[in-house]
Amino acid sequence: MGFLNWFSNPGPTVHNLPSGSFTVDRHGKVMSATVGANFPASLLHEIAGEILSLFKEARTAQMPLAEVSLDFAGLQVSARDMQGGAIIFLSPKNPLATPSPATAKP
Amino acid sequence: METKHKILILDDDTDWLDTCRDFLAQLPSQPEIRIAASGVRALAMLDAQKFRVLICDLKMPRMDGLQVLSIVRRRFPSLRTVVLTGLQDDQFRSRAYALGVDLFWLKPDMQENSQMFLDCIESLLGREDADGFRDNQARNLLDVIRMECLADNSSMLKITSGNLVAKIWFHHGELVDAAAEGADGEAAFRRILKWKSGTFESLPAEPEHVRTITKSVDALVAESEQRIDKYVNPGSPEELEQQKLVEQLAAIAVEGAEFLVSIPAKKEIAPKSWGVKSTENLTAWARHAEKTALRLGEILSAGPLNYVAGNNLERQLLLLPQNGKTLVVGWPPEAIGEKLFEQTKKLTFAWDS
Repeated sequence: MGFLNWFSNPGPTVHNLPSGSFTVDRHGKVMSATVGANFPASLLHEIAGEILSLFKEARTAQMPLAEVSLDFAGLQVSARDMQGGAIIFLSPKNPLATPSPATAKP
Repeated sequence: METKHKILILDDDTDWLDTCRDFLAQLPSQPEIRIAASGVRALAMLDAQKFRVLICDLKMPRMDGLQVLSIVRRRFPSLRTVVLTGLQDDQFRSRAYALGVDLFWLKPDMQENSQMFLDCIESLLGREDADGFRDNQARNLLDVIRMECLADNSSMLKITSGNLVAKIWFHHGELVDAAAEGADGEAAFRRILKWKSGTFESLPAEPEHVRTITKSVDALVAESEQRIDKYVNPGSPEELEQQKLVEQLAAIAVEGAEFLVSIPAKKEIAPKSWGVKSTENLTAWARHAEKTALRLGEILSAGPLNYVAGNNLERQLLLLPQNGKTLVVGWPPEAIGEKLFEQTKKLTFAWDS
């Protein structure tokens, strides 16, 4: 039976970039999400914590922000403050995709 | 139907704005009077609607009156401009007239000779629009060239200095050719930049004109600036530093940013800033935001960080990580979000060059 364990041993996994949105309360608890179920909940929780800290630090610095957006080469993370909580949008970028006229830059 | 002329009053003192508006309401032609408390706001209003007269204070935070007037003179050449200031210094008076203002009044004089002031403004309102282009080159021709390029213009700039005439061709914001004093191409361009004064007019583009200048505008202008600096002003390090600062501030004013903070990676080095009273809070947030973004990028394997943006009702912020430092630029809320990244990159280039 040993060889069965060999097959079932999970190796390192590669996660796809998450896509969708989710809402969190002021404590970072995920309330609802449209992100794929295969994306680890722990990572969603981690993203939420970091985003909430951005809003919190902005308030501490006396320049409260309504929206925050982090633009990476492969992913855009946008968030809107919702009375201490937030709604967070995760939008992967496809470098091969043709921008639609509505989003194309002039 | 007779349309009323519009007057725009620009002053950072809101009480004075109200007083001035009430005072100008006595004008016989009953013009529409609008007010703006900042240079950026005034420029946005001038863009949005046609005004006949701009009454401008000189001493204002962020963008001062002279900066506003220099931009206004280029963008709205037919607008009549009046300086109304409390600064009793002849240096400012001569600088304002060098920028082509129509009138220069001191606030105390205006209160003492109120009827004369009203008559002057009424006279400006009554003048017919003069045909042709009205401007002067005394301030800095480089600014004009840069604006043509930044605006992606296709045009031909005709410059006249005494009996000398020069031409500079632009095509989609690129410097294509120049001609002056029997020379053409780069040599002509350098000669033009040495001219001390003159007038210019913007003529229709000549798309078929043969291109002789292949260097980028920035490279050519930088090269010419170095030559001018060496030729006109061998320059102490302090003077060169001052010149650099002027260039940086001009870039910020042209792009329309509200403030800029350059934060070095090392905490012991103080940030450099323009347009903000205190950088402490902003610096703390920017350091935290960049650290957070980098951590998130690493967790998600999302690739290199391009920027962090934030906004509220008052302004938009854009944080740009650079080599060894972080640049935070504040933009007015009406700035177009899609263009901010490119505009901030342009500013970064001007700030670093």
